[in-house]
Amino acid sequence: MTQVLKIKNNTFILHPLSVIFWEQKSMLIISDVHLGKVSHFRKFGAAVPQKAIQKNFDLMTEAIEYFKPKTICFLGDLFHSSINKEWQLFEKWIIDQNLEFILVEGNHDIISPLRYEKLGVKVVPEIQSDGFLLTHHPEDRAGFFNFSGHIHPAVRLRGAGRQTLRLPCFFQKENQMIVPAFGQFTGSHSLTPSKKDKIFAVTKEAVFEVEV
Amino acid sequence: MTRDQLYEVAENWFEEQNWKPFAFQKKTWKAFLQGKHGLLNAPTGSGKTYALWFPIILDYIKKNPDYRDKHKKGLKAIWITPLRALSQEIKQSAERVAHDLGTQMTVGIRSGDTTTKERAQQKKQMPDLLITTPESLHLLLATKGYPKIFKDCSAIVVDEWHELLGTKRGVQMELGLSRLRALSKNIRIWGISATIGNLDQARQVLLGPDSEALEKSVLIKANLKKKITVKSIIPKEMETFPWRGHLGLRLLEEVIPIINNSKTTLLFTNTRSQCEIWFQKILEKHPEYAGEIAMHHGSINKETRVWVENAIRNESLKAVVCTSSLDLGVDFAPVETVIQIGGPKGIARFLQRAGRSGHRPGKESVIYFLPTHAIELVEASALQKAVKQKAVEDRMPYLNSYDVLLQYLTTLAISEGFYPNEIFKEIKQTFCYQAVSEDQWSWLLNFLVMGSQSLQSYDEYKKVEVEEDGRFKVNNRGVAMRHRFQIGTIVGDANLTVRYQKGGYIGTIEEYFISKLNQGDVFTFAGRNLEFIRIKEMQVHVRNSRKKTSKVPSWGGGRMTLSAQMSKLLREELYKVSLDKKEQSRELKSLAHIFKQQRVDSIVPKPDEFLIETFKTRDGYHHLFYPFEGRFVHEAMGSLLGYRISLLSPITFSLAFNDYGFEILSDQEIDMQQVIDNDLFTIDYMSSDLEKSLNSTEMARRKFRDIAVISGMVFTGYPNKGIKMRHLQSGSQLLFDVFRDYEDDNLLFQQAFTETFEHQLEEGRLRISLERIETQTIVWKQCAKPTPFSFPLITDRMSREKLSSEKLADRIKRMAAILSKK
Repeated sequence: MTQVLKIKNNTFILHPLSVIFWEQKSMLIISDVHLGKVSHFRKFGAAVPQKAIQKNFDLMTEAIEYFKPKTICFLGDLFHSSINKEWQLFEKWIIDQNLEFILVEGNHDIISPLRYEKLGVKVVPEIQSDGFLLTHHPEDRAGFFNFSGHIHPAVRLRGAGRQTLRLPCFFQKENQMIVPAFGQFTGSHSLTPSKKDKIFAVTKEAVFEVEV
Repeated sequence: MTRDQLYEVAENWFEEQNWKPFAFQKKTWKAFLQGKHGLLNAPTGSGKTYALWFPIILDYIKKNPDYRDKHKKGLKAIWITPLRALSQEIKQSAERVAHDLGTQMTVGIRSGDTTTKERAQQKKQMPDLLITTPESLHLLLATKGYPKIFKDCSAIVVDEWHELLGTKRGVQMELGLSRLRALSKNIRIWGISATIGNLDQARQVLLGPDSEALEKSVLIKANLKKKITVKSIIPKEMETFPWRGHLGLRLLEEVIPIINNSKTTLLFTNTRSQCEIWFQKILEKHPEYAGEIAMHHGSINKETRVWVENAIRNESLKAVVCTSSLDLGVDFAPVETVIQIGGPKGIARFLQRAGRSGHRPGKESVIYFLPTHAIELVEASALQKAVKQKAVEDRMPYLNSYDVLLQYLTTLAISEGFYPNEIFKEIKQTFCYQAVSEDQWSWLLNFLVMGSQSLQSYDEYKKVEVEEDGRFKVNNRGVAMRHRFQIGTIVGDANLTVRYQKGGYIGTIEEYFISKLNQGDVFTFAGRNLEFIRIKEMQVHVRNSRKKTSKVPSWGGGRMTLSAQMSKLLREELYKVSLDKKEQSRELKSLAHIFKQQRVDSIVPKPDEFLIETFKTRDGYHHLFYPFEGRFVHEAMGSLLGYRISLLSPITFSLAFNDYGFEILSDQEIDMQQVIDNDLFTIDYMSSDLEKSLNSTEMARRKFRDIAVISGMVFTGYPNKGIKMRHLQSGSQLLFDVFRDYEDDNLLFQQAFTETFEHQLEEGRLRISLERIETQTIVWKQCAKPTPFSFPLITDRMSREKLSSEKLADRIKRMAAILSKK
């Protein structure tokens, strides 16, 4: 179950895989995949299950098959660390996709842009388009609605009987949308919303707007 | 020298001090000199150090007749202490004996406080007698050429063994001993333990089950007769005494005359935050004590702690507010009185604390019990009985702790490397790993070498390598360095050091607490009000502040439970309420009005009744159950019952536990008649239901945290050295999820569940409790409002366990986001 939003006369679909589809541009926005993180940990002697590696690729493929976009935009932190063998898996995966790829650079993206460009992935510091600004770090810029990642937002919910629940979420402010982290082996950070914010909690099956 | 001549040397020394050796000391000397291993059961301050230092030194004299002129260098004995704070004291008594007997033996300490320079010197030339901790012993095993160091070591003494037993540091000790036994054929192994329920098992764990050492060993009991008097502080105005709470400040004024009437008083609190608060409040209400009272707990820096300990000895303090940090070691003769604030949660602990007063042989120990809420007086009454019966609890040792074993194997791999066949034989002789199978062993080896069970392409896992001759070895310096940092983390929480901005170390604090603070927030720590400035390189920078604050850091580790014996005594006390008044203790009588209220609102259960109460408040529907079996059993029973209820219909609830009962709180009403009719307390399928309930709660997840750190999967960085490994830090929570989703047959992941089962939930005790409940009549009271019994439970907002059988979507619809307060 997805959520459809209208922002500045554009349509955005929030999907439970933690991605956003921008209909007018046919662009799929994916943030904070942190590829290579599992391998990085393993390289340093922490035996994180290897099966988690393939999952990132499988889920990205699933999102692509669902929306059939023209363009994929990564909102930064595509690769967690310096190069390791997961890069080869990434190469293989990307060759199979016949799409346009753009990477908005994040703080973790230390792999040379040349390597990306060889694969046909365009690396940019930010994207400005039709009053929308796509960055890795959240930004306030006059006249723009900002899409960003970096934070790995989550929200804590409270209900009767002292129930609490913590879920990753899309975090929307007046002129900003922070996208949850896509990566399977990434944590999240709880944000506390104020009345003006909109929260879309993500579960395996659906995206829910949460009462604030 | 003959053995008799050696005894004479020892007895002469005692005579010179105008002392007489106790029978247990002589027995220990004899057994040791006969080459036996053993466990000495003696309380703190009884002269137990002399019981073992003497034969160690006498043995050296025997082997080296020219000991007065010649010094045969090299390590001869190791003394393990669980608390490094105790090492100074132990060193002094060892040096004294070594010197007085005319030997030239040297004594050294090696612990986290030892300087690098000293360590280097020790490596060149080990002292004859080495005092160290389990962690530092393992660090020695992590140095190249360690077999040579231990080659001629003829004795190892594990002090305060009861403190290690039943912890993973105890497992670490078992492994250390298994290696030492192989390196030095003639090593004698001795433990010293306070009284615990399972002393025989303690000896078995120390020496190895079915081992030759165990056969050739003795258990020596000191049997010192000591009179202990327990006095409860009963509030003068019982009617206004609170029904809940855990601080006990209401009775602060009652403590003042006690402090005034004795030379030195120790006030034991159960948590460090409680300790901080009591210290502050006493000074606030009685500023005249300034300079005469002090505080002592594990997070305060070493200098302050040593200062306090010395001040107790030279009688310059009236009172010290402390935690279990003063439970062990260190003889404080001037302490006349001990006050226990709140339930001590264990008879062994209570006796040990009581023993801190009237420390001289023959003197009476007096301990006051200060209740923090009304119902705790029932506990006080039960404690009186327990002390009389010496109903001391067991310490349950761990089995199959794969995390500690993996850490140990890596330790061996970074120094000399190891051959699996050799080490497997050694670990099979320990108590913890006696049942490890060949399959499990090869799983562990694969895990070390490949980080999985089969070799995968694209994998870059790097840790232990197998060399050509089959030796397992770490050759990567980074792996070795990170591992050395990790060895000390068995007690492990992410701790940050607290410092003034201009320097000056104040103590350590848990990251969890600091993460909730904002710049400018003021908190109380080490008796001071401090303003939080920033975190920099794993250090918390602060400055002094005059602002008042209510924020006091809470430290983990406060969760203890009543033992089976103590729970039984507690129930018996409670049942007396319905019996003849003459049978009741002073404490119970003082609670008359509360029991009266309880009878109005509900009932006070009799021995053949099991009480369930239900009522509604603003928080939701409360369902209370009172087995009076101690916290851990309630945790297990609560999870079990909760799981079974969740099968009846989709529901979400939270669980709260204390030593008297447990609560299930939900936004829906549970059909209690259905619970009773369906016999949800049955023992049938207990184990499998409990196992399934574990998957729906967070307990195993919490256990996994330590496992991940100890086994080296979560790297914590090294706070004191300011070394961060941000790129390698991941929450153990995240790791838990990844294992659950992708590798749930991993032995470490499974270990989290086994541990919860065996150590948290005490399955065995749960079975006995359920059997008891089966013989009782269930009395369900639908109450109009909260009852006195329910109060401490329903007001517990912390540490709630959650369980849900509802669809996430259905839950979210009824929930709202937690808003920021601004």
